[in-house]
Amino acid sequence: MDFLASIYDLLGLLYEPNFMRRSAVAMALLSLSTSAAGVMVVNRRLAFFPDAVGHSVFAGVAIALLLGLNLQFTVLGLCVLIGLSITFLARHSHLASDTIIGLVFSGAVALGLALVSREPQATAGLSRFFLGDVLTVDDAQIVALAVLAALSFVFLFFLTNRLTIGCVIPMAQKNAWPDYLFGAYLALVVAVGVQAVGVLLVTALLIAPAATGRTLSVSLKGMFWVALAVGALAGQLGLWASFQPAVNASAGATVVLTNVAIFSLAVAFRRLFHLR
Amino acid sequence: MTAPTVPVGHTGPTGPLDGNADQLGSSVRCATEGSAQRPDPRDCPPIIKLDKVSVTLGQYRALEEVSIRIPEKSQTVIIGPNGAGKSTLVQTILGFNPYRGRITFRPGPPRFGYVPQRLDYDRHMPLTVTEFLALSLTNWPLWLGVSSKVKTRVLSGLEEVRALELASKPLGALSGGETQRVMLAAALMSKPEVLVLDEPATGVDINGEQLMCELLDGFKADYTIVMVSHDLPTAKAHSDWVVCLNRRVVAQGPPDRVFTPKILAATFGLHQGLELMPDPGPRAASPAPASGPEAGRGPEGS
Repeated sequence: MDFLASIYDLLGLLYEPNFMRRSAVAMALLSLSTSAAGVMVVNRRLAFFPDAVGHSVFAGVAIALLLGLNLQFTVLGLCVLIGLSITFLARHSHLASDTIIGLVFSGAVALGLALVSREPQATAGLSRFFLGDVLTVDDAQIVALAVLAALSFVFLFFLTNRLTIGCVIPMAQKNAWPDYLFGAYLALVVAVGVQAVGVLLVTALLIAPAATGRTLSVSLKGMFWVALAVGALAGQLGLWASFQPAVNASAGATVVLTNVAIFSLAVAFRRLFHLR
Repeated sequence: MTAPTVPVGHTGPTGPLDGNADQLGSSVRCATEGSAQRPDPRDCPPIIKLDKVSVTLGQYRALEEVSIRIPEKSQTVIIGPNGAGKSTLVQTILGFNPYRGRITFRPGPPRFGYVPQRLDYDRHMPLTVTEFLALSLTNWPLWLGVSSKVKTRVLSGLEEVRALELASKPLGALSGGETQRVMLAAALMSKPEVLVLDEPATGVDINGEQLMCELLDGFKADYTIVMVSHDLPTAKAHSDWVVCLNRRVVAQGPPDRVFTPKILAATFGLHQGLELMPDPGPRAASPAPASGPEAGRGPEGS
């Protein structure tokens, strides 16, 4: 972890409390993953997919506590299962994908509530996932986020073109496996993101940078890199602002508010300069 | 990455056409003679042959025992009223639909280039024409840019359909005619043997339609073209083989034999007011339910 220590020293110039430096690295890595994945989420019109997957963590926590399973792996496993289920139902049902996502969303929340109501002690473990906590990440979590970021770029390197052509000509994408792989990958990003910023805000980390990128770009390449830049900027700016006395608010919420503010500026910019 | 060109699926029994050496020899002559003087499609062996193909979509029987032949290097136009199963027919040939019956290809499944009827996609998605066309040429992710080699091929493909000026435009900002030409470029860049176009004139203004017709006429010598159309004058002017479809095959043959009032009435119903040409005579005067492979030199029917 010497490498991480030197990064923390560098970040000391910006972030004064020690734990903030670790949070800054965690937020940078997470925003890389969520912003990159968000481009495909927005272009494939799957904005509610992260919500449905994110809310399934409640059921995951309850199942882990009830059965005495490892909490992290149970939550990750259930999220991926929910992601694959949505993909399967969207491909094989006569219903529109937003209806499928709404149904799975409701079912996941209901399952979580039902299990928690049977085991009240499970509620103690839920608050962490409800709001997330980017300020208490440890080095192991940072390594996990780095692996997720690397995985994201490998995934998008091989599947961006396949998934994009499926957006334009669904008929041309005859194989189902890119969709399932994307469902599992996205669920993984959401499951990790939930632990940093919570269920309520993880969708924003995926959607807002990509929406800003889409507002300011006419090409996919432009959208991708603008989304990444905005995600990284909003993550650091929001984290820094959250600790300023004038703001003094939750880090996750401030990061999301910064993202939304940048998106609003992008919309104004687009209208002002009559971009297409 | 082959999309948007689509390979044929194997959803039904396929295999080489039943034929003999004479038929194969005939096909070679057709291919080599094509550009100089187009052979009579009736003399060319079919590159695609459907034998009693039926397709059921959900509860709906879209095609019933369709038996047709697509002559090699022909420009085959499939006409019929709304709901006749025209799009279903070409999509079945492309392998998108399960079917009963037999579809055979000679000598084997060809490479298809497909221009769909319309694109139902998010037109605000940031994607330039160059990026869209690069999708079918490379797996190198678009977010790392389009290489100069791929860009050269894209520009060459656009030039072929007289759409070079569209290269840097967003795909969603194109008109109907421009979109169809870009889709045609995408289909051609995969070097297809059979070019399939589903209603290429839909949503296209008169100039765009004229341009598309000119382009297709120019490609006649190089490709077998299968086109779905509801525009009878265009179909008559630009086809050398016509299939009249109304869930079943009403007739098939050269346009001068098929575009008769009786066959059009049988295909489209009694209200079909178009009389594109005088009835050529008793041989083609009715949609004869010929059961043989060719009903003399008149239209074939089933």
